[in-house]
Amino acid sequence: MSEPHQDRAKRKLLAVFAHPDDESFICGGTLAKHAAEGYDITLVSATRGEMGRRMGNPPYLNRETMAAAREQELREACEVLGIRQLILFGIRDKTVEFMDEDGLAGRIASLIEEIDPDVVLTFHEVMGGHPDHCAIGKATTAAYRRAERRGSLYFITFGDAMSRPERYGHTRNAVVKIDVSAYLEAKLAAFRAHRCQTEMDEWVWLPDREALSRFGRHEYFLQADPILPAREFRDSF
Amino acid sequence: MIPIDRLPTETELRKFVGSEVYVHSEATSFVFVRNFKLRIGEAHVAGEGSYRVALRFDGQGWLRMEALTHYEVDEAGRLLLAGYDDRGRMNVALHLGKEPFPE
Repeated sequence: MSEPHQDRAKRKLLAVFAHPDDESFICGGTLAKHAAEGYDITLVSATRGEMGRRMGNPPYLNRETMAAAREQELREACEVLGIRQLILFGIRDKTVEFMDEDGLAGRIASLIEEIDPDVVLTFHEVMGGHPDHCAIGKATTAAYRRAERRGSLYFITFGDAMSRPERYGHTRNAVVKIDVSAYLEAKLAAFRAHRCQTEMDEWVWLPDREALSRFGRHEYFLQADPILPAREFRDSF
Repeated sequence: MIPIDRLPTETELRKFVGSEVYVHSEATSFVFVRNFKLRIGEAHVAGEGSYRVALRFDGQGWLRMEALTHYEVDEAGRLLLAGYDDRGRMNVALHLGKEPFPE
């Protein structure tokens, strides 16, 4: 565990993602942990996830009702994770990569200047996995460079892939390995808040103890500009 | 959304014949069009259990879709059709409205 910071109460984290549920499914434990440690967290979701495929199980949503339903689910997830500010950019789901890149980066740079975060989280622009993920990651990275602020940029990663970063062309000194084992209840609650997306995954709705056993104890992040020549993973941002 | 019954669904669809409509159509994993504005000349529903819908537009060709399973007329008077799989995932959607859909 890292030493407590004296200015911890004032520490700020800005997460810029593409869809409702990215924050919970990928790094919900880390967000809950940092909220509990006093970080002021702002989450940007570029879209409302209104073009998603999962419509509840059995289905109760259609394409026109989905945006409002997913926004509400996201607000509930923010509540259980301790995210205090939610900003929706209102870009249509599946079209983020077609937005004017400079304009999008400018919008995010303004937020970085306004918030002055210690930590910025987003998707890696190549390894993001989904076109919307890569596009918001690319714009956020550009915005971070443009804003020239203090604070560090980290890319969220999937599952425990980065427990062996060498396989993906990365080195251990770039990896932050966060122990989220004390925050898995919050993560599970956030999964369940995203009901229309998780209803078809039976394990999410098993009794808590069984559902919690499906989560890994760690979440991994890649630092955009690693500086320390550490040979082992760092355990905090 | 309620399971499609061919005749009532076709009746709802045909209420749009002869008028200008905004169309949202998607094959969820592959393509969507939203707010194409067209005048409908013919509307057909065929099939059983899983349905095919064809719209013929005046001078502007055809739109044919399959795998539709559910429909409803929403509070705004829009006709919403969708095709779901057995776990609630959407495969296709076809929406008709007199006003543009939110973009």
